[in-house]
Amino acid sequence: MGFLSPWFLGGLLAVGLPIYVHLLRQHKSNPLPFSSLMFFERRTQSSVKHRRLKYLALLLMRCALLILLALLFAKPYISRAVTGDAQGRKMLLVAVDNSFSMRAGTRMADAKAKALEALGSFRPGDRGQVIAFASGAQLLTEPVTDLNELRAAINGIQVGDGRSAYGEIARVIRTLVPPDGMPVEAHVITDGQKTSMPVPFSELAVSPGTKLTVHSVVNREEPNWYVEAVHAPRSVFQPKKVRVQAVVAGAGVETPTETNVTLLLNGKTLESKKVTVPPFGRATLDFYLPDAAYGMNKGEVRIDSRDKLAADDVFPFSIERKEAQRVLVVHEPGRTRAADYYKAALESTPDTGFAVDTATSDQAANLDVKKYPFVVLADTVVNLNDYMKAGGSVLVAAGSNLAARGNVLGMKVDAARYAARNAERFYAAGDVDEAHPSVAKAGKFENVKFYQVVQLDPSNGRVVAKLTDGSPLLVERTVGTGRLLVFASTFDNIANDLPLHAAFVPFVEQSALYLSGSDAASAQYMVDSFVDLKGGGEIMGPDGQRALSLAEAAKSPAFRLTKEGYWEVRRPNGNHELIAVHSDRRESDLTPVAADTLALWQSTGKANPAAGGAAGEPGEKPYSIWWYVLVALLAAAVIESIFAGKYLNQEQAQPLTRKQAA
Amino acid sequence: MQRFLDPHVLSSISGLELIAKTVVQGFVSGLHRSPDFGFSQEFAEYRAYAEGDDLRHVDWNVFARSERMYLKRYRGETNTQLTILLDASASMAYGSHKVNKLDYARYLTASITYLSGQQRDGAGIVIFDDEIRDYVQPSGRAGQFARILHAIEKAAPGTRTDFAKPFFHCQNFLHRKGIIVVVSDFYEDPEIVVKTMEPMRFHGNEIVLFHVLDPQEIRPLIKDPALVLDMETGETMEVTPDYVRTEYTAKIDAHIAALRERAQRSGIDCVLIDTSKPLDDALRSYLLLRQGRV
Repeated sequence: MGFLSPWFLGGLLAVGLPIYVHLLRQHKSNPLPFSSLMFFERRTQSSVKHRRLKYLALLLMRCALLILLALLFAKPYISRAVTGDAQGRKMLLVAVDNSFSMRAGTRMADAKAKALEALGSFRPGDRGQVIAFASGAQLLTEPVTDLNELRAAINGIQVGDGRSAYGEIARVIRTLVPPDGMPVEAHVITDGQKTSMPVPFSELAVSPGTKLTVHSVVNREEPNWYVEAVHAPRSVFQPKKVRVQAVVAGAGVETPTETNVTLLLNGKTLESKKVTVPPFGRATLDFYLPDAAYGMNKGEVRIDSRDKLAADDVFPFSIERKEAQRVLVVHEPGRTRAADYYKAALESTPDTGFAVDTATSDQAANLDVKKYPFVVLADTVVNLNDYMKAGGSVLVAAGSNLAARGNVLGMKVDAARYAARNAERFYAAGDVDEAHPSVAKAGKFENVKFYQVVQLDPSNGRVVAKLTDGSPLLVERTVGTGRLLVFASTFDNIANDLPLHAAFVPFVEQSALYLSGSDAASAQYMVDSFVDLKGGGEIMGPDGQRALSLAEAAKSPAFRLTKEGYWEVRRPNGNHELIAVHSDRRESDLTPVAADTLALWQSTGKANPAAGGAAGEPGEKPYSIWWYVLVALLAAAVIESIFAGKYLNQEQAQPLTRKQAA
Repeated sequence: MQRFLDPHVLSSISGLELIAKTVVQGFVSGLHRSPDFGFSQEFAEYRAYAEGDDLRHVDWNVFARSERMYLKRYRGETNTQLTILLDASASMAYGSHKVNKLDYARYLTASITYLSGQQRDGAGIVIFDDEIRDYVQPSGRAGQFARILHAIEKAAPGTRTDFAKPFFHCQNFLHRKGIIVVVSDFYEDPEIVVKTMEPMRFHGNEIVLFHVLDPQEIRPLIKDPALVLDMETGETMEVTPDYVRTEYTAKIDAHIAALRERAQRSGIDCVLIDTSKPLDDALRSYLLLRQGRV
């Protein structure tokens, strides 16, 4: 018998409590009042002693209760000969690592050879199962008795681009339910990467009784150079050189190494540079793309290395060259200050790709606003309800003109408030929700003085920023599929001095990106990450084939990117995205795990030596007996309740005590 | 009416006067069916006049009708004096049911006092434990009943019982012969109890002992060994059910019998009162004794 959590046996110390209460504490007996002891005589049989004897049964029950509780928590088990393998049968599990690092040299072929070798212990009557694992496990067969099927499954394993996780394969082995209660013999064939180890070692534990063998196909550390990262803009709007930054690293490299780094765009070599990678370090170098063609561009950074893992010598990225987006700013006739300030701010950041058109409210009524990703209303009103329901977004700067009208696009706007000369003199921004993209880079509008603000009705909306008196400064509301962002003051440098402050340009830029939907996720993804497919869309794989059928794409909220390369996403609104997917560069670090760590992992299948059991020995399997302990615990609890109730009732129901002194 | 004599019913009535009236009237209404009973001031017989007889006793109505002189004779022509000695020691506070011994003794005392008041007998009361706690001098004056009831009402469980001292003092109080009723649980040697009363008996008083005991005192019910506390002394003792069933029962029975026997030897009446029984049993016992004396 052993315990899976023997430290809970410390709870046995609690047995001292009832012993103290029952035996060591002075026993007190409630005397029964009686008229006179004239006719009583002291007798040798002590009532107290007698009662103590009676309470011994109760004491024993209480002690048993605590002991069983401690045992229950300690998870006891007994080692018994496995009933299912009377004929010596077993469940043979072969798990082969097919992660990205297995592309190095002949690792995959070696792993398959080891896996086939592991099948040598397969006997008639045994069950076998083959699993390929990286970040997740893929069951290639059911538990079968056909050796040829297992061999075919092993031979069919293809190396992938995922990152191996030993915690995941350990979880699969742990949760495996072998048929007929057979003992499990698991073989894990891997390259033993250090980066694949989980942070808590306990995640590697397999069930007691599982005979685990970890076969490493690598027995020494191998140097590896790789492109660790490439930083390139997702979109470019101007015909100018674009900077592309590449990071080249070396793992297990002990001497400085010079290597050639090449930038390619659409398969065409643009530039090559030499860089020296320091020992166990990384080097950074910049390229300048001369002029990318309009549309999607497939780029890659490549190094010339002589290591065994060539797949990580290339790092893909994508760049889209497109025209700047037009933004419409509508103002009242003759009041162009706000539009001028907004235009100047937005066009001062050309990398964001916006150009501003201005129009008066009368002119805007005749314009086709659908071509604009968003519209700015500078203290004026244009009927944009249909535009917003169709997905358009609007930024409103509300001043006295809107306050006089009472509402804008369904949001109530109350009278404008002026900071009184004899009171506050000006308002300042208070709480700012920096999680909101539009103000993420604008700070907290420090030192901005608001002299005139309107009172916004924040119901059904999100208050992004507040003034110090708690009134809303910036409110967002969703209308249809569009967004409405209302600023409680103007951009004209009269109602406030925001346009003169450093917060103005980031606010204008970020709110423009947010409202136009250009702040979406990056164009670079890692293998096994997910791309958002909410609202539908088509996804094409690196091989140019549909990764999902149309029905699947319509239902799937997200798609897992399983391969390196360029993926294309076609959104329902006509937008196309080119996504460059690269492998997790932790796979490029080929440093192997220490042999004793692997040995420790293998030993997790054996019983706890402290418990004195030998559950890990072949032919024996631990059987948990917590269920029986639980039943015994419940029985003890019931008996204890009966005893306690009985004694308690006796004390209370003594006839002589029914009436005491008046 | 009889059901009102049940001590449990009486305990729910507040006010001793009402209890006493309820008991006595209920009891008297029961007596109408028993003509054999009677007491001191009832008509006894006619006797022919003889020389020397007091002319005041001649029944002139009979003489007017028959021209013969007859004397009308009564039983107990004189009023007697009733003195009740009520034990208010701590042991009297014991009770295994709703009415404890002291309550029961209060009802009994109030009822006898009311009864004597109906007969125009003077009544008084002495409340004692090991000292005399309260004393109302016997008298037949108006308001005496209320004074006695007040004293009974005030009686609270005191300390130990000691018959010698209170009875010695009583001898000094009681100058006139009469009836002395002692209500107590008599946890004392019968010899001592009777000896303390004999002087008063020899002085010509009639003494009646009401030995008030709870049913649990006569036949205690103890299922398990227990620690028993003496309500008077505070002393504790561990007792066993076996002892209680056998020896205690024998001892208490012997005590009751010894008290009765020793009292009778000295011409003292002794009545055992069980506090679970209706009060009319006690009153009936008292009146039977009184009738026997007359």
